[in-house]
Amino acid sequence: MQSTIIAEQKMPSVEAQGGGTPFLEVRNLEKRFGGVRALKGVSFTIERGRTYHLMGENGCGKSTLIKIISGAQPADGGELAINGKKTEGLTPIGALAAGIETVYQDLSLLPNLSVEENVALTQQLVASNGRLARRLDLKVLRETSIRALKEVGLPTEPAFLSTPVEELPIATRQLIAIARAIASDAGLVIMDEPTTALTRREVDNLIRVVHGLHAKGVSVLFVTHKLDECKAIGGQAIIMRDGLKVAECDVSTQSKSELGFWMTGKKLDETRYRVDAHGDETLLSVEQLGGSGFDNVSFAVAKGEIFGITGLLDSGRNELALSLAGVEPARRGSVLMGGKAADLSSPASAIAAGIGYVPEDRLSEGLFLGKSIRENIVMAVLDRLRGAFGLLDSRRARALAQKTVDDLQVATPDIDNPVTSLSGGNQQRVLIGRWLTIEPSLLILHGPTVGVDVGSKDTIFRIIQRLAGDGMSVIIISDDLPELLQNCDRVMVMRKGRVADVFTAEGLEEDVIYKSMMAEAGQGVQ
Amino acid sequence: MANAAATVAGMRDVPAAIRIMRWFIRHPPAVTFLLVVILCIVVGTINPGFWQVSNLFDMARSTVVRGLFALGVLVVLASGGLDVSFTAIAALVMYVITMLVTNYAPDLSIWPILGIAAASGAILGICNGLLVHALQAPSLIVTIGTQYAIRGFLLTFIGTALFMNIPESMDAFGKLALLRYEGANGAVATLPAYFLVLVVAASVTWYILNRTLIGRALYAVGGNAGIASRLGYNLRTVHVFVFAYAGLLAGIAGIMHVSSNRLANPFDLAGSELDVIAAVILGGARITGGSGTVLGTLLGVLLITLVNNVLILVGIPSTLQLAIIGLFILAAGAMFSIRPKS
Repeated sequence: MQSTIIAEQKMPSVEAQGGGTPFLEVRNLEKRFGGVRALKGVSFTIERGRTYHLMGENGCGKSTLIKIISGAQPADGGELAINGKKTEGLTPIGALAAGIETVYQDLSLLPNLSVEENVALTQQLVASNGRLARRLDLKVLRETSIRALKEVGLPTEPAFLSTPVEELPIATRQLIAIARAIASDAGLVIMDEPTTALTRREVDNLIRVVHGLHAKGVSVLFVTHKLDECKAIGGQAIIMRDGLKVAECDVSTQSKSELGFWMTGKKLDETRYRVDAHGDETLLSVEQLGGSGFDNVSFAVAKGEIFGITGLLDSGRNELALSLAGVEPARRGSVLMGGKAADLSSPASAIAAGIGYVPEDRLSEGLFLGKSIRENIVMAVLDRLRGAFGLLDSRRARALAQKTVDDLQVATPDIDNPVTSLSGGNQQRVLIGRWLTIEPSLLILHGPTVGVDVGSKDTIFRIIQRLAGDGMSVIIISDDLPELLQNCDRVMVMRKGRVADVFTAEGLEEDVIYKSMMAEAGQGVQ
Repeated sequence: MANAAATVAGMRDVPAAIRIMRWFIRHPPAVTFLLVVILCIVVGTINPGFWQVSNLFDMARSTVVRGLFALGVLVVLASGGLDVSFTAIAALVMYVITMLVTNYAPDLSIWPILGIAAASGAILGICNGLLVHALQAPSLIVTIGTQYAIRGFLLTFIGTALFMNIPESMDAFGKLALLRYEGANGAVATLPAYFLVLVVAASVTWYILNRTLIGRALYAVGGNAGIASRLGYNLRTVHVFVFAYAGLLAGIAGIMHVSSNRLANPFDLAGSELDVIAAVILGGARITGGSGTVLGTLLGVLLITLVNNVLILVGIPSTLQLAIIGLFILAAGAMFSIRPKS
């Protein structure tokens, strides 16, 4: 009963699209945390059926803004009007009931629940107004989930519906999160950095789904700092800096450097960072390497060279990286470091062979989140810092950590602060710093700027260039093509577990790499 | 996209043996079922006395209290918590109620007694739930605390003496037979009516877990509490509900214990917590929460009961039974740790 009433209420608003009241009006929103003013009076309007990008560097207040709109935090001043009606004391369930669905970076999916439940449970929860003592309507659950999954182009057979979400790849999960928004009849879908873990093809698919939402009068607000994707998706940019809205414009009318300027207040280079030439001496030589997901991979990296590797998620690039890091040892072929056979049977032996590996997922694979910055940096060289009685020489450890922090310009007042107190870009620098302490001759960076804002990106790129200039070889594995083109000497494209092409990066067009990634990979995404 | 999913799961070109293995890993209760079947066949072959109706009825009888506890643990575990205070709750409830009924209302019938026991258990459980929610502490720690507090309160302020003369109605309920079977040698075996209490409790728990919003909500919270609360699930409601439900079942289990043993001993039940948690884990629930089924839990209870009660039939000393339970748990742990993850 309740769900039909909700559906009836929704109908007129969809018909009214185009004219009339905007979906959401944000007026003079303010928020304080202790003495810090996170939002200093932000106003904007979300019309129906359009795309918006909320842009800004980490700490600019965009996350706080999203939390207020989604009812997770109360505002200290200002007001929100949904469908022209002013709302007070918005709660998460209230925001959902009003048609605001927020897809956080972790996608807010429950890993252990099935696809069907993840898609359609929220709708029943909203229908019962958050009260849990209700019978579950399995028929409605199934019908709702099938309807929503069809719209995002996912399968609807029972086997898929009952699969736990944790067993699905990230791109599928992304679409499931969108399907949930459709199932709950959302008027606005907020997506917090939705594309960080997706490849190009998956981003294209996401864009298609977003256009489908617009046709139904649903607006989408992307929260992002990836300039390339904003340009690719198009729409209205709302740019924030330091708790204020500094600009609002159509993304297509602005160049990337103009958008970057609004976000950072600094002029950013779009040009290549890579200027130095490297020597001819070969450091790493991979011959006929094969393992799970890749085979017959051969390439060489010179001393001081920056070598990029890209490909779709299933191209074997991740598996190749893990085998070089000793995490998942290869089964066939050989790897030479400086002409000598390298033992890469475990992470420890890879480190001994001079290979440092900075994983893609900082939070779960790289950093010890409960520990301080200092402890995180010295983690890999504890036995070198042994003092009397085999105990840690804390003076030397502190000195090493401080030097690393200074070298890499990590923004922190104290190296004993927890590593979680840092922004994404600074955490990434701590992680790179840890691997620099082992003084590797080859540093493998997996997605070095995933979840990192524009300003920090710049610093990380400069660090990479300096390291290469000092003679360290660097391998960057990434699906951020501009990042590879700006930094690398050569870019290797992998496809279906094999080496597809190796390009010289200078003067290379993104399109060439993209085509090589996609060639004969099958266009039938859906 | 379906193809992509299948490729990632690596379902192509795998030998049948590995596929079967994978299926079992995805369906933990099936493993438990297999162990139960194997154990029955082995024991039954060595000692055909195992299949005697009286023995089977005995086993059914001894699953009741452990089964009720296990259903409570399942609900708490599914929501990501852990409860070890249920035996203390059961002991307090059974002792106080037996004492009060004997002294003040000796003619009270069994239904109000069960109702009062369920309600008092639930109230103690609600205290657990509110404490877990208010302290934001791991529920294992909180319930270790309440377990000691409740047991200490019981032994210090209520009493330590055994009640040998339990109320008439409880005694009668314990003797009431659901099925009677006369063996060839004239011995009579009975399946007690209170076995139905377990059947009803299991059905109700199944219904709550699978057919209500609160049931799905507690799996959601067990999967990831932070995300669940963002999606609008009320964590407080879930915390209070699961501990109240576990307390309710513990209260009923306490009365079952007294009725079947025909005495109320305040020192009883203590120490059987791990046995019960082991049964739930063997039934396929993850200790980290977010999973577990009623069927699996009942199979886990059956397995533990078999090991406890039946190995003696084939001459395995009770001390060695402990080692066997340990091995089962290790095997289950190893099995479930290789379950597919993200």
